[in-house]
Amino acid sequence: MIAPISSHIALPALAPVAGATAGSGQDFQNLLASSIAGVEQRQTDAKTAVNSFLTGETEELHTAALAGQRAELSLELFLQVRNKVVQAYQEVMRMQM
Amino acid sequence: MFDRLGGSLERYMDLLSVRQKLVASNIANSDTPGFRTRDIDFQAEYQGALDSHLPRTEEVLGLKTKNDGNNVSIDREARLLSENALRFNLAAQLMKSQVRDIRNAIQEGKAG
Amino acid sequence: MSLFSAISVSASGMEAQRTRAELLVENLANAETTRTPEGGPYRRKDAIFETQAPEKPFHSVFAAQLQQQNQGVAVSEITVDMREPEKRYQPGHPDADVDGYVAMPRINPAEDMVDLIGASRTYQANVAAISAVKDMIQRSIDLFR
Repeated sequence: MIAPISSHIALPALAPVAGATAGSGQDFQNLLASSIAGVEQRQTDAKTAVNSFLTGETEELHTAALAGQRAELSLELFLQVRNKVVQAYQEVMRMQM
Repeated sequence: MFDRLGGSLERYMDLLSVRQKLVASNIANSDTPGFRTRDIDFQAEYQGALDSHLPRTEEVLGLKTKNDGNNVSIDREARLLSENALRFNLAAQLMKSQVRDIRNAIQEGKAG
Repeated sequence: MSLFSAISVSASGMEAQRTRAELLVENLANAETTRTPEGGPYRRKDAIFETQAPEKPFHSVFAAQLQQQNQGVAVSEITVDMREPEKRYQPGHPDADVDGYVAMPRINPAEDMVDLIGASRTYQANVAAISAVKDMIQRSIDLFR
Protein backbone atom coordinates (compact mmCIF):
# COMPACT_ATOMS: atom_id res chain seq x y z
CA MET A 1 0.00 0.00 0.00
CA ILE A 2 1.43 3.34 -0.98
CA ALA A 3 1.39 5.90 1.76
CA PRO A 4 -0.18 9.22 0.81
CA ILE A 5 2.40 11.70 -0.39
CA SER A 6 1.62 14.36 2.19
CA SER A 7 2.97 12.28 5.03
CA HIS A 8 6.35 12.15 3.32
CA ILE A 9 6.58 15.61 1.90
CA ALA A 10 6.99 17.99 4.81
CA LEU A 11 9.37 20.87 4.33
CA PRO A 12 12.03 19.88 6.85
CA ALA A 13 11.69 16.16 6.25
CA LEU A 14 12.66 15.73 2.63
CA ALA A 15 15.28 13.05 3.23
CA PRO A 16 12.89 10.11 2.68
CA VAL A 17 11.76 11.55 -0.65
CA ALA A 18 15.32 12.05 -1.75
CA GLY A 19 16.04 8.43 -0.99
CA ALA A 20 13.02 7.31 -3.04
CA THR A 21 14.15 8.95 -6.30
CA ALA A 22 16.43 6.88 -8.43
CA GLY A 23 20.04 7.95 -8.51
CA SER A 24 22.43 9.83 -6.23
CA GLY A 25 20.38 9.71 -3.06
CA GLN A 26 23.08 10.78 -0.63
CA ASP A 27 24.30 13.76 -2.66
CA PHE A 28 20.79 14.93 -3.31
CA GLN A 29 19.97 14.72 0.35
CA ASN A 30 22.90 16.93 1.20
CA LEU A 31 21.99 19.38 -1.52
CA LEU A 32 18.49 19.72 -0.18
CA ALA A 33 19.65 19.99 3.40
CA SER A 34 22.02 22.80 2.59
CA SER A 35 19.35 24.48 0.48
CA ILE A 36 17.01 24.50 3.43
CA ALA A 37 19.72 25.97 5.61
CA GLY A 38 20.38 28.57 2.94
CA VAL A 39 16.73 29.56 2.71
CA GLU A 40 16.47 29.93 6.47
CA GLN A 41 19.66 31.95 6.64
CA ARG A 42 18.44 34.35 3.98
CA GLN A 43 15.10 34.81 5.69
CA THR A 44 17.01 35.71 8.85
CA ASP A 45 19.32 38.05 6.95
CA ALA A 46 16.36 39.82 5.40
CA LYS A 47 14.68 40.31 8.78
CA THR A 48 17.92 41.59 10.28
CA ALA A 49 18.44 44.01 7.42
CA VAL A 50 14.93 45.44 7.72
CA ASN A 51 15.24 45.78 11.49
CA SER A 52 18.59 47.42 11.10
CA PHE A 53 17.06 49.98 8.79
CA LEU A 54 14.08 50.62 11.06
CA THR A 55 16.19 51.16 14.17
CA GLY A 56 18.29 53.68 12.29
CA GLU A 57 21.58 51.81 12.18
CA THR A 58 23.82 51.83 9.17
CA GLU A 59 21.58 49.97 6.77
CA GLU A 60 20.29 51.80 3.75
CA LEU A 61 16.82 50.97 2.51
CA HIS A 62 18.17 49.38 -0.67
CA THR A 63 20.28 46.99 1.40
CA ALA A 64 17.18 45.73 3.18
CA ALA A 65 15.31 45.50 -0.14
CA LEU A 66 18.04 43.42 -1.73
CA ALA A 67 18.28 41.11 1.26
CA GLY A 68 14.53 40.64 0.93
CA GLN A 69 14.81 39.82 -2.76
CA ARG A 70 17.54 37.28 -2.10
CA ALA A 71 15.39 35.63 0.53
CA GLU A 72 12.41 35.52 -1.81
CA LEU A 73 14.37 34.06 -4.72
CA SER A 74 16.01 31.56 -2.45
CA LEU A 75 12.64 30.38 -1.23
CA GLU A 76 11.19 30.29 -4.73
CA LEU A 77 14.04 28.19 -6.04
CA PHE A 78 13.70 25.87 -3.11
CA LEU A 79 9.98 25.45 -3.69
CA GLN A 80 10.51 24.70 -7.37
CA VAL A 81 13.16 22.11 -6.59
CA ARG A 82 10.85 20.57 -4.03
CA ASN A 83 8.05 20.43 -6.57
CA LYS A 84 10.35 18.70 -9.03
CA VAL A 85 11.33 16.20 -6.42
CA VAL A 86 7.68 15.52 -5.61
CA GLN A 87 6.92 15.08 -9.31
CA ALA A 88 9.78 12.65 -9.72
CA TYR A 89 8.64 10.73 -6.67
CA GLN A 90 5.14 10.53 -8.02
CA GLU A 91 6.41 9.24 -11.34
CA VAL A 92 8.51 6.62 -9.69
CA MET A 93 5.55 5.56 -7.57
CA ARG A 94 3.40 5.31 -10.70
CA MET A 95 6.02 3.16 -12.41
CA GLN A 96 6.13 0.71 -9.57
CA MET A 97 2.48 0.02 -10.02
CA MET B 1 23.63 30.75 -3.93
CA PHE B 2 22.03 34.15 -4.06
CA ASP B 3 24.45 35.88 -1.74
CA ARG B 4 26.35 37.27 -4.65
CA LEU B 5 23.20 38.53 -6.35
CA GLY B 6 23.95 42.10 -7.30
CA GLY B 7 26.97 42.15 -5.00
CA SER B 8 28.96 44.81 -6.74
CA LEU B 9 25.83 46.70 -7.74
CA GLU B 10 24.86 46.87 -4.10
CA ARG B 11 28.28 48.25 -3.17
CA TYR B 12 27.88 50.78 -5.99
CA MET B 13 24.55 51.91 -4.58
CA ASP B 14 26.00 52.05 -1.05
CA LEU B 15 28.77 54.35 -2.22
CA LEU B 16 26.39 56.54 -4.20
CA SER B 17 24.23 56.93 -1.10
CA VAL B 18 27.18 57.99 0.99
CA ARG B 19 28.28 60.41 -1.69
CA GLN B 20 24.83 61.93 -2.06
CA LYS B 21 24.57 62.48 1.68
CA LEU B 22 27.84 64.39 1.53
CA VAL B 23 26.58 66.46 -1.41
CA ALA B 24 23.46 67.39 0.57
CA SER B 25 25.68 68.33 3.48
CA ASN B 26 27.93 70.46 1.26
CA ILE B 27 24.95 72.26 -0.27
CA ALA B 28 23.38 72.95 3.12
CA ASN B 29 26.68 74.44 4.32
CA SER B 30 27.52 76.41 1.18
CA ASP B 31 27.40 79.62 3.22
CA THR B 32 28.82 78.36 6.49
CA PRO B 33 32.05 80.18 7.29
CA GLY B 34 35.09 77.90 7.27
CA PHE B 35 33.23 74.87 5.93
CA ARG B 36 35.26 72.64 3.60
CA THR B 37 33.71 70.50 0.84
CA ARG B 38 33.76 66.80 1.65
CA ASP B 39 33.60 63.80 -0.67
CA ILE B 40 34.71 60.19 -1.01
CA ASP B 41 37.18 58.74 -3.50
CA PHE B 42 34.47 56.85 -5.36
CA GLN B 43 36.66 54.88 -7.77
CA ALA B 44 39.09 53.79 -5.09
CA GLU B 45 36.34 52.69 -2.74
CA TYR B 46 34.52 50.81 -5.50
CA GLN B 47 37.62 49.07 -6.87
CA GLY B 48 38.80 48.25 -3.38
CA ALA B 49 37.65 45.16 -1.51
CA LEU B 50 33.89 44.79 -1.69
CA ASP B 51 33.56 44.92 2.06
CA SER B 52 30.84 46.89 3.74
CA HIS B 53 33.07 49.25 5.65
CA LEU B 54 32.25 52.91 5.70
CA PRO B 55 34.20 54.70 2.98
CA ARG B 56 36.70 57.30 4.00
CA THR B 57 35.56 60.90 3.79
CA GLU B 58 38.13 63.38 2.65
CA GLU B 59 38.39 67.07 1.93
CA VAL B 60 38.19 68.00 -1.74
CA LEU B 61 41.26 69.74 -3.10
CA GLY B 62 41.49 72.42 -5.74
CA LEU B 63 38.35 74.35 -4.90
CA LYS B 64 38.30 78.10 -4.69
CA THR B 65 38.03 79.40 -1.17
CA LYS B 66 35.90 82.40 -0.34
CA ASN B 67 36.86 85.10 2.15
CA ASP B 68 35.14 83.35 5.02
CA GLY B 69 37.07 80.11 4.47
CA ASN B 70 34.17 78.31 2.79
CA ASN B 71 35.07 76.43 -0.41
CA VAL B 72 31.76 74.93 -1.49
CA SER B 73 30.99 75.26 -5.19
CA ILE B 74 27.26 75.08 -5.81
CA ASP B 75 27.92 74.22 -9.45
CA ARG B 76 30.03 71.21 -8.51
CA GLU B 77 27.51 70.00 -5.95
CA ALA B 78 24.56 70.47 -8.31
CA ARG B 79 26.34 68.45 -10.97
CA LEU B 80 27.15 65.64 -8.53
CA LEU B 81 23.59 65.70 -7.21
CA SER B 82 22.20 64.85 -10.66
CA GLU B 83 24.95 62.37 -11.46
CA ASN B 84 24.59 60.41 -8.26
CA ALA B 85 20.83 60.25 -8.54
CA LEU B 86 20.96 59.03 -12.15
CA ARG B 87 23.58 56.40 -11.42
CA PHE B 88 21.67 55.20 -8.40
CA ASN B 89 18.53 54.84 -10.47
CA LEU B 90 20.42 52.99 -13.17
CA ALA B 91 21.87 50.57 -10.63
CA ALA B 92 18.43 49.97 -9.14
CA GLN B 93 17.05 49.22 -12.61
CA LEU B 94 19.88 46.79 -13.35
CA MET B 95 19.28 45.13 -10.04
CA LYS B 96 15.60 44.71 -10.76
CA SER B 97 16.44 43.17 -14.12
CA GLN B 98 18.78 40.70 -12.49
CA VAL B 99 16.15 39.65 -10.01
CA ARG B 100 13.55 39.36 -12.75
CA ASP B 101 15.85 37.22 -14.90
CA ILE B 102 16.62 34.86 -12.08
CA ARG B 103 12.98 34.62 -11.15
CA ASN B 104 12.12 33.77 -14.76
CA ALA B 105 14.81 31.12 -14.84
CA ILE B 106 13.39 29.56 -11.71
CA GLN B 107 9.88 29.64 -13.10
CA GLU B 108 11.04 28.17 -16.40
CA GLY B 109 11.88 25.01 -14.60
CA LYS B 110 8.21 24.68 -13.64
CA ALA B 111 7.08 23.88 -17.15
CA GLY B 112 9.93 21.42 -17.78
CA MET C 1 22.24 56.71 8.78
CA SER C 2 20.18 56.22 5.74
CA LEU C 3 19.36 58.61 2.95
CA PHE C 4 16.54 59.96 5.09
CA SER C 5 19.01 61.93 7.15
CA ALA C 6 20.13 63.72 3.98
CA ILE C 7 16.62 65.15 3.73
CA SER C 8 16.96 66.61 7.22
CA VAL C 9 20.27 68.12 6.21
CA SER C 10 18.78 69.81 3.13
CA ALA C 11 15.77 70.96 5.12
CA SER C 12 18.08 72.66 7.60
CA GLY C 13 19.79 74.34 4.65
CA MET C 14 16.46 75.66 3.40
CA GLU C 15 15.58 77.03 6.80
CA ALA C 16 18.93 78.74 7.23
CA GLN C 17 18.73 80.37 3.79
CA ARG C 18 15.19 81.53 4.51
CA THR C 19 16.33 83.25 7.68
CA ARG C 20 19.22 84.80 5.78
CA ALA C 21 16.86 86.01 3.03
CA GLU C 22 14.44 87.47 5.59
CA LEU C 23 17.23 89.47 7.19
CA LEU C 24 18.48 90.69 3.83
CA VAL C 25 14.99 91.80 2.87
CA GLU C 26 14.66 93.60 6.19
CA ASN C 27 17.99 95.33 5.59
CA LEU C 28 16.97 96.38 2.09
CA ALA C 29 13.59 97.65 3.22
CA ASN C 30 15.28 99.73 5.94
CA ALA C 31 18.19 101.04 3.91
CA GLU C 32 16.98 104.58 4.45
CA THR C 33 15.41 104.23 7.90
CA THR C 34 16.71 106.99 10.17
CA ARG C 35 14.33 106.48 13.05
CA THR C 36 13.92 103.30 15.08
CA PRO C 37 12.18 102.53 18.40
CA GLU C 38 15.61 101.85 19.94
CA GLY C 39 16.74 105.28 18.82
CA GLY C 40 19.04 106.12 15.97
CA PRO C 41 19.07 104.75 12.43
CA TYR C 42 18.38 101.15 11.48
CA ARG C 43 21.31 98.81 12.11
CA ARG C 44 21.77 95.98 9.64
CA LYS C 45 21.32 92.40 10.80
CA ASP C 46 23.27 89.38 9.58
CA ALA C 47 22.83 85.67 10.19
CA ILE C 48 25.82 83.62 11.31
CA PHE C 49 25.76 80.06 9.98
CA GLU C 50 27.17 77.10 11.82
CA THR C 51 27.20 73.37 11.09
CA GLN C 52 24.78 71.32 13.09
CA ALA C 53 24.05 67.60 13.42
CA PRO C 54 20.95 66.73 11.41
CA GLU C 55 17.80 65.42 12.97
CA LYS C 56 17.89 61.74 12.35
CA PRO C 57 14.66 59.84 11.95
CA PHE C 58 14.84 56.32 13.38
CA HIS C 59 17.75 57.47 15.49
CA SER C 60 19.63 54.85 17.40
CA VAL C 61 22.40 54.91 19.96
CA PHE C 62 24.59 52.95 17.61
CA ALA C 63 24.22 55.48 14.84
CA ALA C 64 25.08 58.31 17.19
CA GLN C 65 28.41 56.72 17.89
CA LEU C 66 29.41 56.63 14.26
CA GLN C 67 31.63 59.39 13.10
CA GLN C 68 29.44 62.28 12.12
CA GLN C 69 29.89 62.50 8.39
CA ASN C 70 26.98 64.62 7.40
CA GLN C 71 26.21 67.97 8.85
CA GLY C 72 23.28 70.24 8.50
CA VAL C 73 23.39 73.95 9.15
CA ALA C 74 21.76 76.31 11.59
CA VAL C 75 21.74 80.02 12.30
CA SER C 76 23.79 80.24 15.46
CA GLU C 77 23.14 83.91 16.04
CA ILE C 78 21.89 87.05 14.41
CA THR C 79 24.38 89.87 14.72
CA VAL C 80 23.43 93.49 14.75
CA ASP C 81 25.86 95.90 13.19
CA MET C 82 26.97 98.10 16.07
CA ARG C 83 29.41 100.23 14.11
CA GLU C 84 29.04 103.97 13.92
CA PRO C 85 26.25 104.83 11.52
CA GLU C 86 27.10 106.61 8.30
CA LYS C 87 26.73 110.36 8.28
CA ARG C 88 25.12 111.95 5.31
CA TYR C 89 24.97 115.66 4.80
CA GLN C 90 21.28 116.60 4.53
CA PRO C 91 20.54 119.78 6.48
CA GLY C 92 16.85 119.87 5.61
CA HIS C 93 16.18 116.41 7.00
CA PRO C 94 14.02 116.23 10.17
CA ASP C 95 16.60 113.94 11.81
CA ALA C 96 19.59 116.07 10.93
CA ASP C 97 21.85 117.04 13.80
CA VAL C 98 23.13 120.54 14.50
CA ASP C 99 25.73 120.28 11.76
CA GLY C 100 23.19 119.12 9.21
CA TYR C 101 24.30 115.49 9.17
CA VAL C 102 21.85 112.63 9.27
CA ALA C 103 22.83 109.24 10.74
CA MET C 104 22.08 106.63 8.05
CA PRO C 105 22.11 102.85 8.16
CA ARG C 106 25.28 101.19 6.92
CA ILE C 107 23.59 99.28 4.16
CA ASN C 108 24.80 98.80 0.63
CA PRO C 109 21.63 97.79 -1.25
CA ALA C 110 23.55 96.46 -4.23
CA GLU C 111 25.50 94.08 -2.02
CA ASP C 112 22.41 92.86 -0.23
CA MET C 113 20.59 92.34 -3.52
CA VAL C 114 23.41 90.12 -4.72
CA ASP C 115 23.36 88.22 -1.43
CA LEU C 116 19.63 87.80 -1.74
CA ILE C 117 20.03 86.25 -5.17
CA GLY C 118 22.68 83.98 -3.72
CA ALA C 119 20.40 82.96 -0.86
CA SER C 120 17.62 82.19 -3.31
CA ARG C 121 19.95 80.11 -5.47
CA THR C 122 21.23 78.12 -2.52
CA TYR C 123 17.69 77.66 -1.24
CA GLN C 124 16.77 76.16 -4.58
CA ALA C 125 19.84 73.94 -4.54
CA ASN C 126 18.68 72.54 -1.18
CA VAL C 127 15.22 71.94 -2.62
CA ALA C 128 16.78 70.12 -5.58
CA ALA C 129 18.80 67.98 -3.18
CA ILE C 130 15.68 66.88 -1.33
CA SER C 131 14.03 66.04 -4.63
CA ALA C 132 16.98 63.95 -5.82
CA VAL C 133 17.27 62.07 -2.53
CA LYS C 134 13.53 61.45 -2.42
CA ASP C 135 13.78 59.88 -5.86
CA MET C 136 16.59 57.61 -4.76
CA ILE C 137 14.59 56.50 -1.74
CA GLN C 138 11.61 55.82 -3.98
CA ARG C 139 13.79 53.65 -6.23
CA SER C 140 14.95 51.74 -3.18
CA ILE C 141 11.34 51.14 -2.21
CA ASP C 142 10.71 49.84 -5.74
CA LEU C 143 13.36 47.20 -5.17
CA PHE C 144 11.06 45.56 -2.68
CA ARG C 145 8.65 44.63 -5.43
